[in-house]
Amino acid sequence: MSSIVVKGSRDLQKNVLANGLCSACGACTNLCPYIDMVRGRAVLIEPCGLSEGKCYDFCPRAYVDVPSLDRFVFGSYRRDLALGSNISVMKARAKESEVRSSAQYGGAVSALVTYALETGEIDAAVLAKSQDRISAEPTIARNRKEVFECAGSKYIVCPTVAEVFEATKQVKGKIGVVGTSCQITAVRKMQASNLEVEADKIGLLIGLFCTWAFSPDAYGYIRDLVGPAKVMKIDVPPPPANIFVIQTEAKRIEVPLDKVRKFVMPACNVCFDMTNEFADISVGTVEGKEDWNTVIVRTKEGEKILQGAIDVGVIEPKPLEKDRLNHLCEASLTRKRRVLTETEAEKIAYLTIREEDKFKIVS
Amino acid sequence: MSHFEIDEPGKRVLLMGNEAIARGALEAGVDFCSGYPGNPASEILEALARAAKKSDFHVEWSVNEIVALETAGAAASTGLRALTAMKNLGADVCADFLMTVNLSGTRGGFVLVTGDDPSAHSTTSELDTRNYARLADVPLLEPATTQEAKDMTKWAFDLSQELGVICMVRTVTRISHSRGVVTLGPLDRDKRSAEFSSQDLWTSGSSTIECMFHSILHEKLKRAQEKFEESKFNWYVGKENADFIIITSGTGWLYSLEAVKLLGLENEVGILKLGTTWPLPEKLVASHLKHAKEVLFVEETDPFLEQNMKILAAELASEGVGPIRFYGKKSNHVRGEFGAGTGELNVDVVIRALTEIGKAAYLSREKGYSEKAEKLLGSYVPARSMGFCAGCPHRASFWAIKKAAKWDGRDAIVTGDIGCYSLGMLPTGFSVSKTLHCMGAGIGTANGFGNLREFGLDKPVIAIAGDSTFYHACMPALVNARWNGSNILFVVLDNNTTAMTGHQPHPGTGVNALGDSSPRILIEDICEAIGAEVRICDPFDLEKSVQNLYELLQNEGVKVMIFRHECPLAFPKEKKARVYVDQDKCLGEECGCVKFCTRVFGCPGNIWDYEKGKAKIDEVMCNGCGLCAKICPAGAIIVEEVT
Repeated sequence: MSSIVVKGSRDLQKNVLANGLCSACGACTNLCPYIDMVRGRAVLIEPCGLSEGKCYDFCPRAYVDVPSLDRFVFGSYRRDLALGSNISVMKARAKESEVRSSAQYGGAVSALVTYALETGEIDAAVLAKSQDRISAEPTIARNRKEVFECAGSKYIVCPTVAEVFEATKQVKGKIGVVGTSCQITAVRKMQASNLEVEADKIGLLIGLFCTWAFSPDAYGYIRDLVGPAKVMKIDVPPPPANIFVIQTEAKRIEVPLDKVRKFVMPACNVCFDMTNEFADISVGTVEGKEDWNTVIVRTKEGEKILQGAIDVGVIEPKPLEKDRLNHLCEASLTRKRRVLTETEAEKIAYLTIREEDKFKIVS
Repeated sequence: MSHFEIDEPGKRVLLMGNEAIARGALEAGVDFCSGYPGNPASEILEALARAAKKSDFHVEWSVNEIVALETAGAAASTGLRALTAMKNLGADVCADFLMTVNLSGTRGGFVLVTGDDPSAHSTTSELDTRNYARLADVPLLEPATTQEAKDMTKWAFDLSQELGVICMVRTVTRISHSRGVVTLGPLDRDKRSAEFSSQDLWTSGSSTIECMFHSILHEKLKRAQEKFEESKFNWYVGKENADFIIITSGTGWLYSLEAVKLLGLENEVGILKLGTTWPLPEKLVASHLKHAKEVLFVEETDPFLEQNMKILAAELASEGVGPIRFYGKKSNHVRGEFGAGTGELNVDVVIRALTEIGKAAYLSREKGYSEKAEKLLGSYVPARSMGFCAGCPHRASFWAIKKAAKWDGRDAIVTGDIGCYSLGMLPTGFSVSKTLHCMGAGIGTANGFGNLREFGLDKPVIAIAGDSTFYHACMPALVNARWNGSNILFVVLDNNTTAMTGHQPHPGTGVNALGDSSPRILIEDICEAIGAEVRICDPFDLEKSVQNLYELLQNEGVKVMIFRHECPLAFPKEKKARVYVDQDKCLGEECGCVKFCTRVFGCPGNIWDYEKGKAKIDEVMCNGCGLCAKICPAGAIIVEEVT
């Protein structure tokens, strides 16, 4: 991929796990008997002794070489420093109100995955599922019903990529993945890696906008807040709300964000990728519009599927207002600026970007 | 009927040393036998238990060595003949009682047999138990042959009964485990009755009474010494009034005899062989020291004879003894691989000593012998490090402990204990255990490690012990942990047998030494009564095992995890599952696991097919546990239940 040297599990331990940089994406687990995922931490049981390993090569915190990954995914380096390579940005939502009602916002992800499955673009999708809408565990969905069971945002980390490996063993055809930035980055690194033989099974990658996720330690806290009541939805409304909201059958519980920040994964603090820049299609909220999504189309494959979904009336598109787009870009750049400054100060060197871009973003 | 039991006086039979000791007890008419298994002494009680099935005397595996000695001591105090057998480290366990029952004395014959293990083949210490005889002021006999193992044991009962003091017989691995021809004596079938009335006192006393008893004990020892001067177990061979003599006991006798013959020194060197080594037969020894200018001591482990003789020689200096040059451990002439006072004796050791002293020029082996032998044998002997057997549940337990400790992530301290699972320190146990001492020391030291939070050591502490060790030595420490607030996780590896010493029963097995059914005392009942949080799991259910351990590690206080799965050697399955590798699925060298099955997992059943570059199962070795199938990341190991 680049001049970056692929290393083994000892280096993963030293550079990522020991520094608390693991985002629990699952990219290093389910590959060998030596690494387990334990409560939001990848744990090295024993170094395997290999000097080069998939665990290191796929890890989105071991190294991310942005120029190389851009060229691998998009064929060229990015022009948009705020949102990453993209073909178009729009508002979109699932046409069926039934889909939207069970979804977090506009239901675009559920609708797109279902469309891709039903048209045979993919044969299975790896998604995050929740039994109680608090915790999250990865699952392989193969039909509409299974996709809808996964609707709604989960705020506790989920080792989705570990399930992608499982899917490559189980599924004969193409596999779609819905994931956060670190997870989609890991899957892209897996596709780009010389070490992976099953990568050609990976199809559509739908990326979720993401600012941070909770460690599983948050589970007990949330459970205590909620008691036995059934949780309907968990949400962090866009700024300036600054609250964490739990909607149960009976009531709406609001907690100041500062109270739950301690549960945020340290690995999220060094993430520069809010809008999931290596996905085929990225999906997020639209500020102030609860039943719509912001959709960034990044690749030709992504564009084709979205267009197909629009054509058959599964997805309803709308232009994104100029001020909303500007706001999104500004939010993303602000984050990049903070992360680049902080990681440089703390000598965390997983990220490789062009010097001139770094200069443009920071100044 | 085994050879050692037959009632044909005068018949010559081939016996193992430990069987000969058991035979000696039968000829002495032993009434009550106890012990705790341990190499090299285990077969003594096992043989006696076989005999007791048919005759009318008591044999028990006791819960530990001190209880064994106490229970036998009580029997002896009533006039019965009692024997207790144990390995060398067992003497440490029973030492507390030994140091008082020597004073209180005995009415019937009371014999303590200790099996020492020079080179520590299967022991954590080369402890020389002869020192206990000197420490306790009790008579000591050291057999040098299988015949003597029988004869001395029998005589030890007579001597003990006559003197009224416990008598020790010290054997070593090469006496206990080698076989020799023994001429049988008559069996004693007299039935004694046990008596202890309200008029009887059996005590070591205290204060002035204790001193009085101590003085009586010294008198008994003096009488023993007088008897030893005349003992048929001591003799001198070789050149009369030789300048150079070898003084030896135990295995040293035959090694010395052979070395002298090999070097052609029969007409130059004398050998004084002693069978009664504490107290020394001083007059006999003096008669030989008088003509000696040089003395070489050949004895197993400690310079016991050497030091006692040097004291004697100093005392005799005014009576024309000396000056004598002494050779042995102090002079470094008699030494093992790791120096004097370590390692087993053999003929070569004696030859090297004699050669270095200058008595002969002899190379016991041609140069490069070891390399040549290794080359020659190398291809026939499979290279294998010490490891758990195929299908051993301990392998699963240690992998679970390793994982749980890593999951926990606080760098847990794991303390080990004595049993097959002592191997937990080695790669076969994934190098999980970090300490190893005596029985019970795992949880004992864990008590300390788990109570050092205020000194900055705030790590989880995991103590490991087997089931038999649990009953033997762990209960007081478990109570202590609960009482004094230690924060520990105690993992009991319950394989329903005392596996390492040869599958003897223990209080949890529901069977006694004779194989008869007995009350089953459950580990979980004891732990729960102490107030510990107890969980039980089959270690082969790996996921559940790791999860349980991990959860327990997060809890404060005393937690007990019982890993319960029978030893597959003690309880072989009637139909074992067939395990094989689907080589189409095995990724071979390409797999990210880097040969986990053969390199890390290390079960003797998992082997590498070098021709195909794939994993393979040695179906002869495999015990069908199927654990490797659960760990193989490629799912290439298939378990086929046989119906």
